[in-house]
Amino acid sequence: MKRLSTFITSVVLLLTLSVHVLFAQETITVSGKVTDAATKESLIGVTVVVKGTTQGVTTNVDGLYSIKAPANATITFSYLGYTTKDVPVNGATTLNVQLESSSEVLEQVVVVGYGTQRKKDVTGSVSQVKGEDIAREPVLAATQAIQGKVAGVQIISSGAPNSAPTVRVRGTGTMLAGANPLYVVDGVITDDIRNINSSDIVSMDILKDASATAIYGMRAANGVLLITTKKGKSGEMVIEYNGTVGAKQATHLVNMAGPNQYAGYINEANVFYGTGEELITPEQLAAGGNTDWYDDILKTGFQQNHNISFSGGGEKTTYFFSAGYLSDEGIINTNNFERLTLRSNNEYHINDWLKISGLASYSRFDVREVNLDAFNLSYRAAPYVPSKVGDLYGNTSLSNNVGNPLLNLEKNDDRGTGNKVQGTFALDANPLPWLTLRSSLGVDLDFYKNPIYGYRFANTGPDNVFLTEGGNQLRTNSSYSLKDNTTNRWVWDNTATFNRTSGDHNISFLVGVTAESYTFNSLTGTRLDVPENRDQWYLAAGSPIGATNDNTGDKATRNSYISRLNYSFASRYLLTATFRADGTSRFPSENRWGYFPSVGLGWNIIEEDFMKDQNTFTALKIRASYGQVGNDQIPTSTYFPIAAINLPYFFDGSEYLGISFNQLPDENVQWETTKEFDFGLEFGFINNQLTGTVDYYDKKTEDALINIVIPGILGDTDNLFTTNASDFSNKGVEVGLNWISDLGNGIKYSIGVNGAYNKNEITGLNGGQALFDGSVGTQGFVTKSDNGQPIGSFFVLQSDGIFQTAEEIAASAQKTAKPGDLRYKDLSGPAGTPDGVIDALDRDFSGSYQPKYTYGVNGTFNYKLFDFSVSSYGTAGGKVYNAKKAARADTRDNLETEIAKNRWTPNNPQTDVPRANLAPLPASTYFLEKGDFFRINNLTLGYTLPASFLTKYKISKLRAFVTAQNLATITPYSGFTPEIISTSPLNGGIEAGIYPTTRTYAFGVNIGF
Amino acid sequence: MINIKRYLIIFTVLVTIMSCSKDFLDVDPQGQLTEIQALSDPNAAEKLVGGVYNTLYFGEFGNTTVGFLYALANDIASDDADKGSTPSDYPDAAQLDNFTLTAGNGIFNNLWNGHYTAIARANRSIDILEQSTFEESVKNRLLGEVRFLRGLYYFNLVRFFGGVPKVIRVPDPAEGNSDEFQTRATAEEIYQVVLEDLQFAVDNLPLKGATPVGRATKGAAQSYLAKVYLYRKDFQKAYDLSRDVINSGQYSLVPDYALIFRENPVNGAGGNNNSESVFEVQTGINVGETAVSKLYSNGQGPRGRGGWNDLGFGFNSPSQDLANAYEADDTRKNATIIFITPTLPANSPGTVLWDGYRIPSKDSVENDRYNYKAYHSPLLESPQLTNNKDTKPKNIRLMRYAEVLLINAEAAANLGLGDATTNLNLVRSRANLPASVGTIDNIWKERRVELAMEHDRFFDLVRQGRASTVLGPKGFVAGRNEVFPIPQSQIDLSGNRLTQNPGY
Repeated sequence: MKRLSTFITSVVLLLTLSVHVLFAQETITVSGKVTDAATKESLIGVTVVVKGTTQGVTTNVDGLYSIKAPANATITFSYLGYTTKDVPVNGATTLNVQLESSSEVLEQVVVVGYGTQRKKDVTGSVSQVKGEDIAREPVLAATQAIQGKVAGVQIISSGAPNSAPTVRVRGTGTMLAGANPLYVVDGVITDDIRNINSSDIVSMDILKDASATAIYGMRAANGVLLITTKKGKSGEMVIEYNGTVGAKQATHLVNMAGPNQYAGYINEANVFYGTGEELITPEQLAAGGNTDWYDDILKTGFQQNHNISFSGGGEKTTYFFSAGYLSDEGIINTNNFERLTLRSNNEYHINDWLKISGLASYSRFDVREVNLDAFNLSYRAAPYVPSKVGDLYGNTSLSNNVGNPLLNLEKNDDRGTGNKVQGTFALDANPLPWLTLRSSLGVDLDFYKNPIYGYRFANTGPDNVFLTEGGNQLRTNSSYSLKDNTTNRWVWDNTATFNRTSGDHNISFLVGVTAESYTFNSLTGTRLDVPENRDQWYLAAGSPIGATNDNTGDKATRNSYISRLNYSFASRYLLTATFRADGTSRFPSENRWGYFPSVGLGWNIIEEDFMKDQNTFTALKIRASYGQVGNDQIPTSTYFPIAAINLPYFFDGSEYLGISFNQLPDENVQWETTKEFDFGLEFGFINNQLTGTVDYYDKKTEDALINIVIPGILGDTDNLFTTNASDFSNKGVEVGLNWISDLGNGIKYSIGVNGAYNKNEITGLNGGQALFDGSVGTQGFVTKSDNGQPIGSFFVLQSDGIFQTAEEIAASAQKTAKPGDLRYKDLSGPAGTPDGVIDALDRDFSGSYQPKYTYGVNGTFNYKLFDFSVSSYGTAGGKVYNAKKAARADTRDNLETEIAKNRWTPNNPQTDVPRANLAPLPASTYFLEKGDFFRINNLTLGYTLPASFLTKYKISKLRAFVTAQNLATITPYSGFTPEIISTSPLNGGIEAGIYPTTRTYAFGVNIGF
Repeated sequence: MINIKRYLIIFTVLVTIMSCSKDFLDVDPQGQLTEIQALSDPNAAEKLVGGVYNTLYFGEFGNTTVGFLYALANDIASDDADKGSTPSDYPDAAQLDNFTLTAGNGIFNNLWNGHYTAIARANRSIDILEQSTFEESVKNRLLGEVRFLRGLYYFNLVRFFGGVPKVIRVPDPAEGNSDEFQTRATAEEIYQVVLEDLQFAVDNLPLKGATPVGRATKGAAQSYLAKVYLYRKDFQKAYDLSRDVINSGQYSLVPDYALIFRENPVNGAGGNNNSESVFEVQTGINVGETAVSKLYSNGQGPRGRGGWNDLGFGFNSPSQDLANAYEADDTRKNATIIFITPTLPANSPGTVLWDGYRIPSKDSVENDRYNYKAYHSPLLESPQLTNNKDTKPKNIRLMRYAEVLLINAEAAANLGLGDATTNLNLVRSRANLPASVGTIDNIWKERRVELAMEHDRFFDLVRQGRASTVLGPKGFVAGRNEVFPIPQSQIDLSGNRLTQNPGY
């Protein structure tokens, strides 16, 4: 891993350093040994390059190298974690070099968008996660593996195979428009990185503040994640294999009442408080089973991941090939996922100033999805109904009007196949030492097919599939639908970078132009009565009756001009200024162009003369930046008045197709603007054993898009009007600290701690019209986004204990309540004062899903050949609405053991669980729970076999390890998981139909040849 | 230096190529018709009229014109029907049953939005029609159809809410929020709109037979206008208009009352668009199942309690009071109400409907009675294409000739004319009842049983001024419940410029 990173560093250096024009010179062979200046140990894999050329080699296992170079050349030695050193040859044939260990943080090179920069010179807030830290975790999406590793980046993950984690950089950055960050994979702009094999990643760089992201202008408001993939390096072929095999299971399930508990509760509720009859009869219980529905739909899934890569290169070319296979069965019956990835990253140095590179990847996945409703159905289904006996299913629709979850899974076959080709093809030219020209074409082609088959099943007659006939769960015709989506995206960047160094002045100036195009085409069809035989799952095999076909598309283009100026004086005073002009087809021509400036200033105090004599600090930098970015992620046709077509009516018995203009668009719609101020401090103490970063930011989003409800008299079909009518802010502090220590005797350890505080607040909603969202059963909307509150705040009744006596009830606002009922606070009424009635006017803000604090703790410990690592993540201050508990749909729905056990009865008055009650309860804080959690994301223990043992077998490295993903979650939340992926920031944190968190144990090996 | 120049030239060329294509950023919506493109079609105006007819399908639990929620609002609030379904199902409908109506009731917000969406379509269509180059007669016929529908919709609104905002043109975007549109006109002003629209329709629409079935006719416009005049107690005009319809000779009663509500005629009588039909919602089968008033049939269909594939949600259950209102031997009783048989004696054959469909006895059925007029046979009538019972293609009879006869009878009775008894007895004799005398009381009594479960009873009682007497026991309060609450959300959206009706 280290060697690859080194290679990247050297490539970056090659690209950024001036190219010297060489004159014909006598060539000699220079050789020597490279060692660590402090420990005198030889360094393996140091990149040795003749400066100004592409000629390079790496040191061997003994730290030795040999390279041909002109007698007057300069040789550059670079190695990750060490200060790069330039040594003039001056005719010498032996050059032994000692490299000084440097602060990894400060010498780190980060990717900043259309280029790279030394971390030391960066004036914005940029964080980097190394590929090895991502690949360590056995998860599909790389974003899931950075959870807890970067301050201020909230990752909401899901246990479902093929799920895309939600990423929020510095709080919720939008209300209606796309809330996902921008992903840039080797320069290709994309919105999904599930096709990227974590093993292929060198680093992921997260641009957090507006001065860093402004170079991406109108797409950057939610942060930018840059992914760089591996390339080969000159030298012998390196073969690496990494593999894990493991099993995953659901954790943190909810215990549901068994048949007797269930019947006891339901009957108590109906006998004492309802119509008086026993709803669940002893006969029903006696005849039925004892079903734990979750047991019956869940399984332990098998998971494996294999990667192999071949890399290397000659003087002029380098190559990197990799293949990866990942499979994940999930933890629910019928669920399955497989992914194949192939990558070929090649570079060709045509001559000493011209390079062509082609980075291409192909990925394919096959998934069988499950309808997450199965989790809700299992929550509701009566436990006395058997799930399945032989081939016959328990008839849950007869017991409590709910579908049999197992049947739902088994009688639906919902598959997806995705093929994706992604690549960057670039030409880099260094015609002059101070000029770099680059033209790169990025493409992203995505083909997705989604066939869904619904089996026919009857609830009566010869095709009956139930133990008891009847009910309402049936499908009288089999159905087959096919969706075929094609997405085509390309981006063409042309940039010129000018570098000039004169004395202490260092100037770099980038200008460029980019063009981008996105097209999408979706073809769908459905047919009934397609035979069950899988070979006949084609539209043509179905009945023409009821057949539907549809074809829709989308297209958007963007044209942008970018520029960036970097100036530094003696590495001490830093200035970065960027400016991007974005033109987009998504907005009407009069406000099509957006201009996004930013400026960042930095002061490397450590470089000042007055710091020369102190030993406390080894790094000290302060920086301040301000920038403006945008968000244009709204449907492309938002501003167009669109005609609704094919509106049918029957005249003379035949269909006439009419049209209407019923959608009122905002013809002046524009992008959202986010203005951000960032102040940062970077420091290192004690020979850089302790390093850290502190950032304060203040981010204001203006003209955020929202759907405002408009009066019905305007006749808009959905009475919604999409317009720029909201302002909100995110303010916060981020802290990251790292401690690295080498205790000698082969003991090394490191601890990284990061934490962030964020405050989200709506500051200006259109005319104060609050936005309601998050509909839960009969409770209506449970969130309200309003001025002065975080986006998506819960807005519910305030539960205030339980009524114990009739006197308490008589004195309350709930005259019809019974002892054991929840008491609610009478906060207001039509006149704005308490009115003795509990209704919607008594709802109050009660927090939001957005956590106030996110944090991570990561550590490594190495003892000789053993290595151990742990990573963890937590959030605090967010709330979760337990909607599956809140939304009782049928009086006979099952309930949690906790509720059945602890319910209020005259004999059990000291409880916070109300009496047995079959009626739906109103939305209140009773269903709102703390969403805090702390989780050990990954724990890995590895052992590397000694080199002496391996050399016999020509193996350079062999490491075996065991790893546990999501080992333990500590949370007060009683539902499946407090990590909830929602459809919109306005309704975050409502738990209903959630894939449970999964725990994976795996065994793996890394082999290098 | 030559080098630099060369590369800078290349770079400049690239930049130029990429920025000079101005069209690059002009992208029209894909697969969607913009208004501008739509209007370039010479038939756009006529298609817009089709789009207005389409609003007759607005139904289910969403924006509604004359569909499911309209049926609930009228019948459940009256003495004809109870809420039905299970006791806890759909509290908004329960508010209708006992007049505990609140301004937050979603049914009225949906009726409000449905009607105004339809009216907005009509206004836009009138706007485009007036600019169109159609021949004058075609243009006026199309304008007549649209204004007929707009008049009908405003007639509903004024009866539901009293005065409402008067929107009879397309507002500029900036005008939408002006007082002109955000405040209520008086009921009188709205009635003027209704009268003008319907009169225009009367003057410009062709007779039945001279226009495709389903399009508004002169007879339909006259019938509705007569009905409006009845509400306004202008009996002479109501009499004249309904007499014109009768004298047109275009309409006749279907001999067998039960056949009126079937899809197919029996021996040439009854069925959709039968001889008695003056105006009805034309449904049909299309691929998306979008040419129906969703939930109209199964929303009122018999609801099971497990054990059989039931027909629907069981709302709008005819009341015992309605069942009692029929005279002995009235053939309309069993054509209006599906009676569920008691559980005992055991092995009851249940209720067998006209098509042979058997509904089990009470222990498997939620309610005692269901609306037969909303029944769509799963055995003998057009099946919906998919499993979705919501999309049964049931034509809704909005205006029948029998009602025209009763309008005429009532107007005549008020004017002291002999037609009152004649027309009343035409209706009675078809129902197998002996002749009676055309007094106002008798005519009102006849209106109830003739038009029961056709969603007119509540409005009728209010019009007749006896709503508080008849509906008092259900909770009706005089001075308040003659109209329904203006939806609170609309009041909020108007910035409180819409005033609430008294008592809400």
